[in-house]
Amino acid sequence: MGTEPQQQVQKLEPDRPVGKASATEREPNSSEKFSFWLGPDEIVNPFDIVEADQMQGTSTFGLVTNIKQITDAPSHLSNYISSDFGSTEANPQTPRQGANVAEVNVLANYDPNTPKKFPMGIYMPVQSESPVKFASEAGIHVALGIDKMFEYEAEYKEKITIPAGMIRMSNGTRVRVFLDRRYVLGPEGAHVNIAGISGLATKTSYAMFLIQSIMQTVGEKDVAVILLNVKQNDLLVIDKPRKGIKPEEQELWRYLGLKPGPFTNVRYLLPWGKETQTTKLPNCFGEPPDEFKIYAYSLRDVIGSGGNPGPGLSLIVRVPDPWDTLGALIGEIQQGIGNNEPKWQGVSTWHDLLNRKPLMDQGIPLKFGEVAASSVGRFVRVLRRVTKNRQSGIFVEQRNPQNAVNLGEEIRKIQGGQTTVVDIAKLTDEERALVFGHIIQEVYGMYAEASLDERADLPKKVVIFVDELNKYAPARRGEGESSILEYVLDIAARGRSLGVVLISAEQFMSEVHAQVVGNSSTKVIGRSDSSELSDSAYRFVSNELKAHLTRLDKGELLLSHPIYRQPVKIEFPRPAYQAIGHGR
Amino acid sequence: MRNPFLGLRPALEIMVREGRVLPATGQAIEDMMRPDQEEAYDRVRLGTEHGLLNIVIEAPNRTLYVDCPTIHRCDKHLFRYFLDGSARTFYLGNIVEGDRQTPIHVSQVGAAVVYRDTGGRVRIAKAENKLVLLMNKEEVSFGNEIERSVRSAGDRYIFVDLKEEDLQTDGIKAGKEPRSRAAHKANWIMRTVEKEIAEGLVRVDGEWLMLDGGLGSEYAKDWKEGKDYLGVVKSSWKELKFSVSGGRGAKHTINTYELLSNLKTGQRTLAFGLRDGLIATWFIRIRGPEYLDFPLMGVLRVELPNPTMQPVSSDAITEISGALVAERCVSPHGRDVRWHSHLYPIYLAEQAVKNDFASTEILKSGLKWPLPPNGRLA
Repeated sequence: MGTEPQQQVQKLEPDRPVGKASATEREPNSSEKFSFWLGPDEIVNPFDIVEADQMQGTSTFGLVTNIKQITDAPSHLSNYISSDFGSTEANPQTPRQGANVAEVNVLANYDPNTPKKFPMGIYMPVQSESPVKFASEAGIHVALGIDKMFEYEAEYKEKITIPAGMIRMSNGTRVRVFLDRRYVLGPEGAHVNIAGISGLATKTSYAMFLIQSIMQTVGEKDVAVILLNVKQNDLLVIDKPRKGIKPEEQELWRYLGLKPGPFTNVRYLLPWGKETQTTKLPNCFGEPPDEFKIYAYSLRDVIGSGGNPGPGLSLIVRVPDPWDTLGALIGEIQQGIGNNEPKWQGVSTWHDLLNRKPLMDQGIPLKFGEVAASSVGRFVRVLRRVTKNRQSGIFVEQRNPQNAVNLGEEIRKIQGGQTTVVDIAKLTDEERALVFGHIIQEVYGMYAEASLDERADLPKKVVIFVDELNKYAPARRGEGESSILEYVLDIAARGRSLGVVLISAEQFMSEVHAQVVGNSSTKVIGRSDSSELSDSAYRFVSNELKAHLTRLDKGELLLSHPIYRQPVKIEFPRPAYQAIGHGR
Repeated sequence: MRNPFLGLRPALEIMVREGRVLPATGQAIEDMMRPDQEEAYDRVRLGTEHGLLNIVIEAPNRTLYVDCPTIHRCDKHLFRYFLDGSARTFYLGNIVEGDRQTPIHVSQVGAAVVYRDTGGRVRIAKAENKLVLLMNKEEVSFGNEIERSVRSAGDRYIFVDLKEEDLQTDGIKAGKEPRSRAAHKANWIMRTVEKEIAEGLVRVDGEWLMLDGGLGSEYAKDWKEGKDYLGVVKSSWKELKFSVSGGRGAKHTINTYELLSNLKTGQRTLAFGLRDGLIATWFIRIRGPEYLDFPLMGVLRVELPNPTMQPVSSDAITEISGALVAERCVSPHGRDVRWHSHLYPIYLAEQAVKNDFASTEILKSGLKWPLPPNGRLA
């Protein structure tokens, strides 16, 4: 049959419409949403960004949130009957009329005229029959608000764009997306929170990519990074290049304007272990890095001295204390030992504290001030469990500065452009809380309590990366709560003005304190399950998009940034360092 | 949006100016035809008053029922074009002049032909949409002025004098009744628009055109050069009778019910001659009777032009029938009560026409009577 008129030929020109806007009685277009039907054989996917012709020669950009097929069958029964009363072999002579219809959330309107006739944009509904096409990279930058970052950079000659990954659209278009430094490192906003199922969401990989991106673009000299290694030796080899990095991976790094390489200027702080005294090796998974320092905690390190307080016993004594009895006792102990008061002069080690006066005598707890002997006994039991019975080796009776360092002192040595990795992978939960609490306490103290002169010597920004944030800033106050939460909340709230930035990760955002999530300007979600996504923590994601989050592939993430008008789905390159424990 | 009925406005202004308008309550009211109208038209088009078909018009077959293996378009794509029309008529009111008066009707009339490509995808190949003003021209002194006004509005506008006779309207009782005559006249206009489209199609040999309904004399007699087309009747006139061989050369007559009661799915009947053999007609059961409400459901009657009036090859009739059986998938079930014998591509052509019609709301607001200087119509 040689006369098939007007056969359509698929082409890949960017300006080719893939469909037309469609407004109906029951599904009208609005300022926020519009629908368009797709031409036969056209394919779009959720998260694609499209451009529709709008009134007065302007364009409206939108994010595809869903695609549905409509047919003229009024019911499934009609389809059943139309298939020869349920014959699965029936081959339709005329396939049923149907159309694929995409639903779109409006992102922005763009007026290409110079000067702009409509500088505020036109937010009239996209008119029915308006041609709709895939947006170009420049169009997507306009749609997301990234073009404003470029304008700022051009006007103020200041780099503010941080490559954050790449949008890959169904027509093959690749689009670089950027974060605004002012909303990642302050002062307008700060913090990044990453959530998603372990093993699939590639949370650590993305955090590392983002940190490298920050370091290579806006923070080469001014940003210090502190990473907490919580799994295996994942982050203990970040200064080693990954072997076998594929050319296309390298290309992706370069496409984003980044160098595919390992971290540079890295120092490792690893914990003292029970065998360290004899082996001289730290308590870490696998081979330790070539160069490292070992940290340990003596009683003095935890309590500190009068002018230089340590992290405090409250970070390790994490038990319910409704009447603040233990809190009062801890205060007395810290004051007494820190100020070297006469009553405490015989107490210089953990052993002394747990076995000698003034708290114990011959194994019997003693009443201390207003604190009953029974409460003292409880305190000692808890402390003994943490520092003696169940400890990993980090608590030492005496710390020899030749063999082990004080973590707080090392944190105070951070420099711009330097990455400090603190390994806590083999530590118990209480020990991890102590180390993390100690780090943020030190950093917070450095920045919040520093004089102007002291601030001048500090890196302008400190980025702290911590996984399993829910352990330190849980959503529900209760057992195990400690003063860490107060520090984390302080950093979440004031970090953007102080220059202390938290890049945090967890499986379930719902289990993290709402203030921490709320204060994170940038949120990233990897694959998550639907019950988790139904939590109010995810209310910044529209219901249409949530359904797609359960299907994200490994390495695909949803990125929400204050500048963007809608969250976008991104991909990012695999780490270029030796990523032993979390290969994608 | 521009008022689609603007071209009729001058004619309405003449009526208001020259006569007294008795407007329809609630502006325009749709004129409905009887629900079994299709069957009534079929009777008219059959061209037989007695309904007895006694010419067998196929050879060599003489058996009453013939199996028709399904011929899917992937094997042989016979039917490519599908034509249907539609008319929607509204009563606007009456114009009174002295002791004479005429009803005023406006009809949206359209026809469309859809083309089915090799993959089965359907699109509109050609479509026409007309606006028809119908009235008794001679009943008012300014009838000619109105006619001129409508005709000068453009090709899209048609003026019809309700008194004029045509091949279809006057053949049925309802067509002669003043109240429903306009709707029947509009239906006849629709047939003429359909025929214009059919004639205007440029088809390659072997690309068949399927028409909705039987072939009236406008096709059978007046379109001699037409080829590779047929008509499909969904609701056949049930009073047809057939003269068939009863064995040993004897003939006996059976009625439609008897003929179809033994027709199985995927079978056709013997082909009979209509209009002295100018048209070959036969029945095909495309589905049922199981699962259907009534034994005669699921049956089509085919009308094939036969200008030579010689017997048609039985193989050709069987092939056409096999291709028609394949048309049962998919069906317009749930969209049309005649779904059991309605063919989906014909339904799509009908939808193409109706989707081009202005809605009743738009028609009512677009066809408001212009107010005279005193501000009152009657």
